[in-house]
Amino acid sequence: MEMLTLSHVKKSFGEKEVLKDVTFSVPEHTVFGFVGQNGAGKTTTMKMILGLLPCGGGKITVNGSPVCYGNTPTNQYVGYLPDVPEFYSCMTPMEYLRFCGEITGMRAGEIKSRSEELLRLTGLHGEKRRIKGFSRGMKQRLGIAQALFGHPSLLICDEPTSALDPVGRKELLDILESAKEQTTVLFSTHILSDVEKICDEIAFLHEGRIAIRGSLEEVHKRRKASGTELETERGEDAGRLFKAFPFLKRTGRNILLLEDPERLPGILHFIADKNLRILRIERQETTLEDLFMEVVGK
Amino acid sequence: MTAFLKKEWMEWIRSGRLTVLTLVFVLFGIMNPAIAKLTPWLMETLSDSLADTGLVVSEVTVNAMNSWAQFYKNMPMGLLIFILVCGGCFTAEYDRGTLIPVVTKGLSRRKIVGAKAVALFGAWTTLYFLFYGITYGYNAYFWDNSIAEHVFLGAACTWMFGVWVISFFILFSAVAKNSAQVLFGTGSAAVGAYVLGMFPRLASFLPARLMEGMALLQGINEAADYSVSMAAAGVMSIVCLALAVWCFDRRRL
Ligand SMILES: Nc1ncnc2c1ncn2[C@@H]1O[C@H](COP(=O)(O)OP(=O)(O)O)[C@@H](O)[C@H]1O
Ligand SMILES: [Mg+2]
Repeated sequence: MEMLTLSHVKKSFGEKEVLKDVTFSVPEHTVFGFVGQNGAGKTTTMKMILGLLPCGGGKITVNGSPVCYGNTPTNQYVGYLPDVPEFYSCMTPMEYLRFCGEITGMRAGEIKSRSEELLRLTGLHGEKRRIKGFSRGMKQRLGIAQALFGHPSLLICDEPTSALDPVGRKELLDILESAKEQTTVLFSTHILSDVEKICDEIAFLHEGRIAIRGSLEEVHKRRKASGTELETERGEDAGRLFKAFPFLKRTGRNILLLEDPERLPGILHFIADKNLRILRIERQETTLEDLFMEVVGK
Repeated sequence: MTAFLKKEWMEWIRSGRLTVLTLVFVLFGIMNPAIAKLTPWLMETLSDSLADTGLVVSEVTVNAMNSWAQFYKNMPMGLLIFILVCGGCFTAEYDRGTLIPVVTKGLSRRKIVGAKAVALFGAWTTLYFLFYGITYGYNAYFWDNSIAEHVFLGAACTWMFGVWVISFFILFSAVAKNSAQVLFGTGSAAVGAYVLGMFPRLASFLPARLMEGMALLQGINEAADYSVSMAAAGVMSIVCLALAVWCFDRRRL
């Protein structure tokens, strides 16, 4: 089932058309990466999903129910981590989580065990200070704890890793990945390595439209077949290979590029027969980075 | 809603807002009878210097009436301080975005306005009657409250005026972008009611009349004169709150 669907969503701020036609859907129990440059409209889209901004056209549904601006009932299925999370500074993390539990009507015992579990998960347990003195990274951790608190069916995180140090970042990605068991995750980012680490599906937002969408493998496949690079130890070996297989491209004195992967076994035979000394044979991966540049550069 | 109310309570205490307001209202409450009590003494000490200038000061007698006059003079100041101290009650949350995690958890926006209104009205009522109680107690101790008529009704009228102002404050808080706008709007509403109150035909419908509690105590006005403005203030407050809820449901957080 689709947890979240957006169809032909539009949004303008005054004259400025930020979202022109955004259509995508997020199936249950997936980690969905929502990628775009700064200012592409990721935060705007998320706020519309949460009913915090009026929709300029199109339709959004969460868990099958339509989202409306203002008091949207769909928010009870959602956990949200804002891009710059802010909490009541006079409370301690424990008190804040209790407050979160109480507003969603959880029982006292459940609140206590869930708070402890999440504070441990986010590394904030034993933090007795009030939120006032927290760094942005610590607020981000508390933010993920409060977003997960009510066992939401849909977890929306707006650039969750941007304020964290490398260790915190890895921990947060692990949390998101493990959250997949119970919930569906939609997170926005402009950091592509995060996407490659944990996402099942992605969508690129560019110039108000979804430029690319699909599972990680599908998206990779969209790029024309990537080549295989062969590097020999000696230049004359590269020359012999080049003579025997003229479709190879010589990109360096002893580097050859093979574009069609089907021909690789033949080449390997030749190498074994002639006992050529090989430094490396490497399949070139298209990174999302390349893809992103391609989309953006268009 | 109870949960949000609990959070409001925690904020009122931990921000020191409650302490400041309690101190102010207790101080004012003590000041009313104290000033009345000290007037004869002040006059006496001043009379020598006044006599030099040719003024003859006759014996001054004070009673509970003087203290109540002080009460009605200080009340607007108390209300003003209350509004100023609570000025950011809504707008601080908009500025910082602290309501976003709350509404995105599915807490209905009505409950937020409701809880804030309960906190404000509750604090106003408690502080106001603390202020009233202290003045009443001292007056009864020093003099005799029975020379004034409708002591409680007079106080209730001014309390109602406070409720009316706070309702406007909530409405402007639900609409405005920052606390300056809120304070300006609330101030304009109060001043507007005051100015319009100068037209005799309108006066009895306007809450400004509720501020004339002293006239009631002195027996110049009848209790019945206030019933219309009481009712008008009540209706206006309810309308304000309903409008506030309507606007808050639609505002951008
Ligand atoms: N309240 C607003 N008023 C006017 N323009 C806005 C508002 N919010 C966002 N924008 C504009 O919309 C664009 C998208 O912003 P945003 O969604 O925050 O981007 P992202 O989160 O992808 O970095 C930006 O160009 C920004 O200037
Ligand atoms: Mg953003």
